[in-house]
Amino acid sequence: MKAAFIAYNQAFVEEVEDVLRQLSIRGFTRWQDIQGRGSKTGEPHLGTHAWPSKNMATLCVVDDYIAPILKKMIQALDHSAPNQGLRVFFWDVVDV
Amino acid sequence: MKIYESSVKKPITTAIIFVAVVILGLFSLNKLSIDMLPEIEMNQAIVLVTYPGASAEDVENNVTKALETVLSTVSDLKKITSTSKENVAVITVEFNWGTNIDDAANDMRDKIELVKQVLPDGASNPMILKLSTDMMPVVIYSATADESSQALYKILDEGVANPLNRINGVGAVSISGAPQREISVNIDPQKLDAYNLTIEQIGSAIARDNVNTPGGSIDIGSETYSLRIEGEMKESDLLNNIVVSNFGGKSVFLKDVAIVRDSVQEKAQESYINGKKGATLVIQKQTGANSVDIVNKIRKELPKITKNLPKDIQFHEVMNTTDNIKNSIASLVETVLLAFLFVAIVVFFFLGQWRATIIIMLTIPISLIASFIYLLLTGNTINVISLSALSIAIGMVVDDAIVVLENISTHVEKGARPREAAIYGTNEVGVAVIASTLTIFAVFLPFTMMGGMAGIMFSQLGWMVCIVMAVSLICALTLIPMLSSIMINKDRKSSKLFEKLYSPIRKLLDKFDNIYSSSLSWVVRHKTFTIIAGVLVFAGSILLASRIGSEFIPASDNSQISGNFELPIGANVERTKVIASQFEKVVKEKYPEIITFTYTVGTPSEDDDNSWAQMQTSGSNYVSFRLKLCDIDDRERDIFEISEGLRKELSSYPELYRYNILPGGGGGMTSGSTVDVEILGYDFEETEKIAKEIKDKMSKIKGLRDITISREDYKPQYQIEFDREKLALNGLNVATASTFIRNRMNGMTASLFREDGDEYKIKVRYDRANRQSIEDIENISIYNTSGKAIRLNEVAKIEEKFSPPSIERQDRERIIKVKSTLYGETLDKATANMQAEIDKMDIPSHIGVQIGGTIVDQQESFSDMGTLALLIIMLVYVVMAAQFESLRYPFIIMFAIPFALTGVLVALFLTGETLNMMSAMGSIMLIGIVVKNGIVLVDYINLNRERGMSIVSAVVSGGKSRLRPVLMTTATTVLGMLPMAIGIGEGSELWQPMGIVIVGGLTFSTLITLIFIPTLYCVFASREVKRYRNKNKLKLNRRAV
Repeated sequence: MKAAFIAYNQAFVEEVEDVLRQLSIRGFTRWQDIQGRGSKTGEPHLGTHAWPSKNMATLCVVDDYIAPILKKMIQALDHSAPNQGLRVFFWDVVDV
Repeated sequence: MKIYESSVKKPITTAIIFVAVVILGLFSLNKLSIDMLPEIEMNQAIVLVTYPGASAEDVENNVTKALETVLSTVSDLKKITSTSKENVAVITVEFNWGTNIDDAANDMRDKIELVKQVLPDGASNPMILKLSTDMMPVVIYSATADESSQALYKILDEGVANPLNRINGVGAVSISGAPQREISVNIDPQKLDAYNLTIEQIGSAIARDNVNTPGGSIDIGSETYSLRIEGEMKESDLLNNIVVSNFGGKSVFLKDVAIVRDSVQEKAQESYINGKKGATLVIQKQTGANSVDIVNKIRKELPKITKNLPKDIQFHEVMNTTDNIKNSIASLVETVLLAFLFVAIVVFFFLGQWRATIIIMLTIPISLIASFIYLLLTGNTINVISLSALSIAIGMVVDDAIVVLENISTHVEKGARPREAAIYGTNEVGVAVIASTLTIFAVFLPFTMMGGMAGIMFSQLGWMVCIVMAVSLICALTLIPMLSSIMINKDRKSSKLFEKLYSPIRKLLDKFDNIYSSSLSWVVRHKTFTIIAGVLVFAGSILLASRIGSEFIPASDNSQISGNFELPIGANVERTKVIASQFEKVVKEKYPEIITFTYTVGTPSEDDDNSWAQMQTSGSNYVSFRLKLCDIDDRERDIFEISEGLRKELSSYPELYRYNILPGGGGGMTSGSTVDVEILGYDFEETEKIAKEIKDKMSKIKGLRDITISREDYKPQYQIEFDREKLALNGLNVATASTFIRNRMNGMTASLFREDGDEYKIKVRYDRANRQSIEDIENISIYNTSGKAIRLNEVAKIEEKFSPPSIERQDRERIIKVKSTLYGETLDKATANMQAEIDKMDIPSHIGVQIGGTIVDQQESFSDMGTLALLIIMLVYVVMAAQFESLRYPFIIMFAIPFALTGVLVALFLTGETLNMMSAMGSIMLIGIVVKNGIVLVDYINLNRERGMSIVSAVVSGGKSRLRPVLMTTATTVLGMLPMAIGIGEGSELWQPMGIVIVGGLTFSTLITLIFIPTLYCVFASREVKRYRNKNKLKLNRRAV
């Protein structure tokens, strides 16, 4: 089992939900109105006057075989709008 | 959930709410009636006191002064003017605009109560009259007749006036110029003396023979019958056979001493319509009724009424206030529609997308229609003010929508789904949109608190604009995101044809962007030069100011001219009529634009029930006339030019004493300016001399016309002075003797003759042949109690004398006014010239000379507007300071305002318009409108700096990216105003200066803003940075130590 942390511009909430639905991922934890900035490029999402957009993050725990598919789909979504900096991070889940 | 979030998530609810608002708005529109201006409560009341037998000076000292003293303590008082004439005092109390006249009248009544004891015994109870706009006639018809002219009054009264009176909202219908039926008993004084009779005896004989008497009741058997004696005459012929006395054993019949004629009144006002004698029907409305509705109903009813009248009676409309109203409204509606079209073109030009254009343009009808709900709820009407408000707002309502839509599009382009983009896109700009609408509120809300005349005109405008802007803000935050989420998508392909058509525009806009950014980068590197150039441009425009004239309210053409002229006092009606008809013939030949020419000669008879005629000036030497011209589009000369021609024509008649022409018909505020000189002083002769001198000087000043001195001339009259000793010797008193004279000359009403439910007067007096010379008066026999006849010349002397003029006072001081109207010169110049002339004169110190008329109203309004402008500048600054959380940036943005002034002056100079109330109002509105560009620009430059750019690159790239939004919102506002500035149709003269000022000021200020404000920004921002660095350096140094 792997935990997937998806950080994205809040305008992409529906797209991300779509991906989860397609992969039948039911359970998730989501944070609204959070801030974030990419390490190298892309627009910051800080909710300030200069950078008014905000981030959202979804954490879901998926089966190991799902993880690469999820990664692929999220990356495809990222390529559609590279400046928005959509990212997914995985790590192992030790116990449930 | 935020409002835009829920509106996007519930599109049907949102749509239904707006549909409901539109339906309600259209329903209100259907219910609203049309009028010229918002309801204006007149601010004047008149106190009338009669004091029979007192001379003008007695009236002044005993009545007028006492009343003036108490009335001057009434609250909200603006001015007291009074006229003291023989027998009567008229005191006019003027209140500040917006005072509740009912409360004021009550206040006056209380004050008058205090002084009643002091008034002389003979004086009547003071009567208070409130003036109201309802007293002005809504429509005047003229009726001409051939065969039926003798019976015209009865036909009009029964056949026309009564049916018209039944129409809902019609107040009084009065007929003038048609003589009423009267039965006159014309007596031969010689025969009267021969039979030892008096007119009084004959009168009472007639009265005795013309009565119905109830005779009680009688019981016959079991029934009770009432008795009635029908003694009234069935026919006027029967009068002849009345026995008036017994002489030498024989009965003397009325026919023996008099001729009975069943005819029309001797003296009456005569009206001529296009050269034909006829009558005029003056129709007034009930309080609160709507003029346009009434006239529509009358017009519908009149053909039906005419059907039942004799065929030779014809009606013409002489004056109609509502055509002007309808035409003005129609031209404003046209203006609004044109503005809508222009705005649509601009939005499409810049966006290049049909869907986006449609979404944005939807805001206009919704916000405009919603404002009708407000009008209906507050009981207002669709009028020139409310429609102009719409026309002012139309270019501004799309601004918010544009900003929101633009941001949503950007998000969609970046790859977000339209639904989410709509929510978050609106969220990002929501605050900025609210702030920029607040600056508009900051301008228009103070309008609603204005006082005075301007307040009446502009408070409604202020409310309307605020409401329209509020609705547009709500639209921008709910409807626009909702529609964008549905209608906008990323990969929309446009057709090839569209691409072909639009790509040149796109290239043009790109080129603009590049030119602007390169010039901007040059400018920010040559700051000193730019600032000096800007200051020079502003200073140069200030020099223009001296070449622009000023007036109060621009005059407008309503196709009506009225006027009057007088022959020297004492001229009789016949002579006056000849000149009037001569004048009419010449004028109608020279000016084919005239449709109807009506004039009225003579005095209305005293028992006329025509209140309108009684209120007007009249006299045997006095002619008042009224012209109706054809529609403004069908003629080249305007009413002012034609009036000038009429003045020239009248001045060629040497017999005329004075004349006066009122373009616009005198009613309303838009008929041009007046320049009056007020001379305050007690001594009649002294002030009269100065008045004449000033009149001479005024006639030499350019642009002054119709110069008249307000104090009337001494009127010639015959005065009968009784010798009291002789009266007493003959057992007579003054009252009896005067009644005798009055009954013989003026006539006594003996009784009333009834026919078909109407009553006609039976008037007994001397035959006309015996009322033509002083001898006729001298030979009047007066009978004393012992029945002895005494000739008038035995007890009295008849002398020709002059009646002293009436005494006019203003604010408790005697005053003479020299009045004039203005043509072909601006108010400020004429006033300045007049003042210069007055300064040259040698006027004693106890006599005050001041200039009055329109200039006083102008100065008052202009000083009000100055305060208003200051208030608005402060409010706008406050709103901006709150938005930027800074005191510096709003200050930079405020520099757009002086350049707006430059634009205003240049626009006024180029179009030759004057600085007047409308253009001043336009300039005040500009304060809020021009800063909007600066807000957009500085906001984005700040954003760029926060994102880490250097000052110069933040300014240049910010300027480049905001160029289109700035140009777009400016273009929508400017083009929305353009139809107003061009001036379409009737009544547009009034609003044209406002349109010109806003178009000129905004265009110029935007061009300057785009260059000057970025430069100033650089200056201020680099100083800020330097200061910050210096401060930090200091800290470092300390640490080093």
